[in-house]
Amino acid sequence: MNSRAAWLLALLCVARCGPALAHSAPNSFVKLSFLAQSVRAEVLVPESELAYATAAERASEPFAAYLLRHLAAETPQGAAWKVDVRSFSHTTYLEHAYLSAQVEFTPPTGASSGAFVLIDDAVTHEVRNHVVIVLMNGAANPEFLGALQYPTRRLTVQRPSPHRSTTEAAQRAGGDDSVAGVAPLPIASRSSMSSTK
Amino acid sequence: MPVSDGAVACSVTPIIPQSDPFRLDGQVAVVMAAIQDLEKTLSAEQRKSLERPFVRDSAIRWSNLPVGITPRMGLRLGDLDEKQNHAARGVAAAALSACGLELLDEIRIADDVLKAVDERKIGWDAGNYFMSVLGTPSESKPWMLQIGGHHLAYNFTFNGGREGATPLFFGTEPIRFSAAGIEYEPLVAQSAAMSNLAQALAKQPAAKLSGTFTDVVKGVVVIPVPGKMPTGGTDTGFPMSFPTGNSDRGILYGALSPAEQALARAAIESYASLPGAAITSPLVAAYESSAALAETYIGYAGQPDLGARGSYVRIDGPRIWMEFVVQPAVADNTRLHYHALWRDKQSDYGGEIGH
Repeated sequence: MNSRAAWLLALLCVARCGPALAHSAPNSFVKLSFLAQSVRAEVLVPESELAYATAAERASEPFAAYLLRHLAAETPQGAAWKVDVRSFSHTTYLEHAYLSAQVEFTPPTGASSGAFVLIDDAVTHEVRNHVVIVLMNGAANPEFLGALQYPTRRLTVQRPSPHRSTTEAAQRAGGDDSVAGVAPLPIASRSSMSSTK
Repeated sequence: MPVSDGAVACSVTPIIPQSDPFRLDGQVAVVMAAIQDLEKTLSAEQRKSLERPFVRDSAIRWSNLPVGITPRMGLRLGDLDEKQNHAARGVAAAALSACGLELLDEIRIADDVLKAVDERKIGWDAGNYFMSVLGTPSESKPWMLQIGGHHLAYNFTFNGGREGATPLFFGTEPIRFSAAGIEYEPLVAQSAAMSNLAQALAKQPAAKLSGTFTDVVKGVVVIPVPGKMPTGGTDTGFPMSFPTGNSDRGILYGALSPAEQALARAAIESYASLPGAAITSPLVAAYESSAALAETYIGYAGQPDLGARGSYVRIDGPRIWMEFVVQPAVADNTRLHYHALWRDKQSDYGGEIGH
């Protein structure tokens, strides 16, 4: 089998080979969509790894409340952004089970939404090999923005340049309701950093 | 190694000094000669597969994932005829120690065992191991030799700015198996060396690492693409950051007894004895210098005997980074399997690859 055949084999795997990815423990993904006044995020947390993290804390609160204790955003100067967990659901990606949360980050009055510090240690506070992969959502292929791994829990994120904005990328791809749609009311919110670890 | 060979030969084999005229493993001229011999047997198309540019994208294309998920580049060993296969093995033998060559053979056999256990078409196959030469082999300018597949990644850089034995990933599933009437346990030397070390240190609270380990910490990174196969699965995260300070890194080598220190050095050498002596000897000398050992930490988590998932051992010094982790098996999830990784904080890819 040459390398072309290997790639074809890879394509065949899209539908059939998910469990083999257990060879790599599943990581968290944070997919960001930049809006005019806020940043919306789809946060995917693998349930297998989350179980280790919540067990270590003996955490028993609902997932949204747990997430708010471990997920935050602030301006580069350290002012807290408002964080709303608008919904969450169970999903699978290549046969790993994930909790998928729709989160909206809103900067404080007068602050730009174009740059912020993302803070996430929902799993990494316990699982040492776990990586939070931060992506820009909306384009055909999400763009890799950075990663977090213990003990690092903060990543500075810049709004992409206009010609690569999420909205435009979504329009090129035929539209993306998750970017343009009206967000539901939050199911959990936090307006300060004080409760974040 | 075949189990009948007994325990941990690779871990206690002294590193042969470079000056030993009888051990040429890993010397650049010997490896180059073997590559030339291989190339004479190859078609133009095969040579094109073997020879690739020495650039970041090529160098970081190693993984612990099956080739059906993370395709490799290079000359596929399973496509070679007998003469070509003999020549390719000559390249491996020139670059590797006897232990390293044996590990390559046995990890490939393990993949064939998986093929019979798990019929998903994800690339379990001894044939799905590849060889690449990055750049132009030279006695003075940097180039790389890569040999690897699902559970193995040898990445040797010659004439780099720094020594070039790493990144070196290896693993096995099954841990122990039988093929053609022979019992194999490919990582017996490394698992025994690491568990001997962890068990000796288990009585010392400072050696215990906090947290949970479900894989090696500084391994490959998979980038998700919704609805599609993920990208990455290679050394996308290179260069990496490593722990600093003295918190949660384990116990210092200097706090160990002489017997425990000997176990630590044996564990280091169980990994470092895989490349040829010319490649690895300078690194072992650096890792085992008094100054380096004085700043080297050893930590473990889970079961020190490595008998359960989540068991983990790490050696973490000024340059050295060696990990060993026990994970659930994939083809047969009632069992366990091993991942191991050796990185050098200063000289992965011979110091020749940047961001």
